[in-house]
Amino acid sequence: MSYKIAIGSSDGVNIDLKFGEVSEFLIYEVEGINYKLIEKRKRAFKENNAVSGDTFESSCDSGCCKNGNRKKCQGPKDITSTIEVIKDCRCILCKKVGFQAQKQFEKKLITVFDIEYPINQALKRIVFYYNSIDNNRSWHL
Amino acid sequence: MAKLLDKQRYKCALGAMQSVQAIERALPILHSGPGCAQKLSEQIGSSGYFSPNIFPCTSINEKDVVFGGVKKLNSTIEKSLKVIDADMYVVLTGCIPEIVGDDSGEVVSRFNEEEKPVLYVPTAGFKGNNYKGHEQVVDSIIDQFLEKSEEKEAGLVNIWADVPYQDLFWLGNLRELENLVRELGLKPNTIFGYKRGIENIKKIPKAQFNLLVSPWVGLSNVKKMERKLGIPYLHLKTLPIGATETSKFLREVGEFAGVSKEKIESVIKENEDYYYYLIERYADLFLENRVINKQFSVIADAQYSLGITKFLVNDIGLIPAKQFVVDDTPKKYRKEIEEEFKNLNYGIKAEASFETDGYLIHEEIKKHDYHGYPLILGGYYEKELTEDLKGNFLNISWPVQDKVVFDSSYVGYRGGIKLLEDIYTVAVQRFN
Repeated sequence: MSYKIAIGSSDGVNIDLKFGEVSEFLIYEVEGINYKLIEKRKRAFKENNAVSGDTFESSCDSGCCKNGNRKKCQGPKDITSTIEVIKDCRCILCKKVGFQAQKQFEKKLITVFDIEYPINQALKRIVFYYNSIDNNRSWHL
Repeated sequence: MAKLLDKQRYKCALGAMQSVQAIERALPILHSGPGCAQKLSEQIGSSGYFSPNIFPCTSINEKDVVFGGVKKLNSTIEKSLKVIDADMYVVLTGCIPEIVGDDSGEVVSRFNEEEKPVLYVPTAGFKGNNYKGHEQVVDSIIDQFLEKSEEKEAGLVNIWADVPYQDLFWLGNLRELENLVRELGLKPNTIFGYKRGIENIKKIPKAQFNLLVSPWVGLSNVKKMERKLGIPYLHLKTLPIGATETSKFLREVGEFAGVSKEKIESVIKENEDYYYYLIERYADLFLENRVINKQFSVIADAQYSLGITKFLVNDIGLIPAKQFVVDDTPKKYRKEIEEEFKNLNYGIKAEASFETDGYLIHEEIKKHDYHGYPLILGGYYEKELTEDLKGNFLNISWPVQDKVVFDSSYVGYRGGIKLLEDIYTVAVQRFN
């Protein structure tokens, strides 16, 4: 069973971008313990009033928070639309992922790894891990 | 096929974090998933300088499992040292870091040069229950903090008994044991409870001997202390409850410590005189057959099962039905403990079962003929069963849900009186 991993990287070698900074996600496809880069996807759109940093301003424009209706919260449009772009991935690797974005990823069952490693090193680890748990083998560092 | 364990009476080894909490101004730092401390802590009686809900914890998640939680552990320990004022920091590991293979010991050793001691205790849940975890905590203190001392203080006795927080009466029990030892003219030293923290731990190597009052918990600790610190030990299996056992206790401890026979006997006489004065006043209640049960069962850890059985048979004259030791005693100790159950007055022998499954215990109790109403002393799980059998129930072992205990105790002469009060209170309530 193959799956995809999304990575936020500026140079294709290190995971060095925060989720908010990524303009183009590197998508890797994993089969067993082998992986390869298959495509690059642009994020949906970048709001003009985006603040530099890892999260966007809470530009929730539906006003649903007024009722304290947290269950129905769709999150800021910038984040949810970006997540839409990589929604078929099993996990995402970035230097830092803000709290709001993490919550939205959780809803789509995408695992968030906020780490800062060279891409190959991180992928080897993750791929080995998923391979072990998918095949019910014991896992250790 | 996987087995189910029904109504277990202990927690996982990480429950030993409360043994650390019992040492004043010692702080447990947990390396485990989120929520372990809150789930393992007792519902009542767990607050204080630092409560389990706010123990520093690495709260590891999937990322730490894949990439290692060592960095998080390092920063948690570092920040705890900065932010929290404690005398001793004890890092306890939960299941996940041990399965995954984090080298927590190495991380802790990086803090060896710090002003305050940082210890490491491997207490993964699958390694055993919190009785073993408690032994593990004491082992780590001996291994990583204590050094052998050439200078010994005459009359200083370290007392090891009970498991804090697992036993509701832990504080009172330890204090009463101290009182008994003090009456003999010796100097008792314990490390758990009020004003007995790191200063008392530092005194451990100077003791004349270690006194272990427990069927098996702590035996490996005193053996280790004999090897490493050169301190001899006296192992008394029975927790002294009531006059018969307490007098025996005083004689054995006094003789081992070299206290004069006259002194021992005078202490015993003074206590026994008052004890039997109290008993005499209620002799009519004891002799009324209608009020009290004939046979009893204790469902508790080894300490209470043994101690209470001896008290009820030797002092009160009841007949033991089957007794249940529910702390998952290691197999190597079971034979000796079984022998101890047969060591009762009048040639009576009690049968002990090391069953941990609540369902099987209840089935056995239901099958047995108690020749009247059964007297059951056990955990709250037994309450409904005893009501069905129309027996008398006293909640003395974990879990304890129907009483609040601060520092009262069942140990010693006073403890025997208190246990009698509690049992007969239940009996007369039903009589009315």
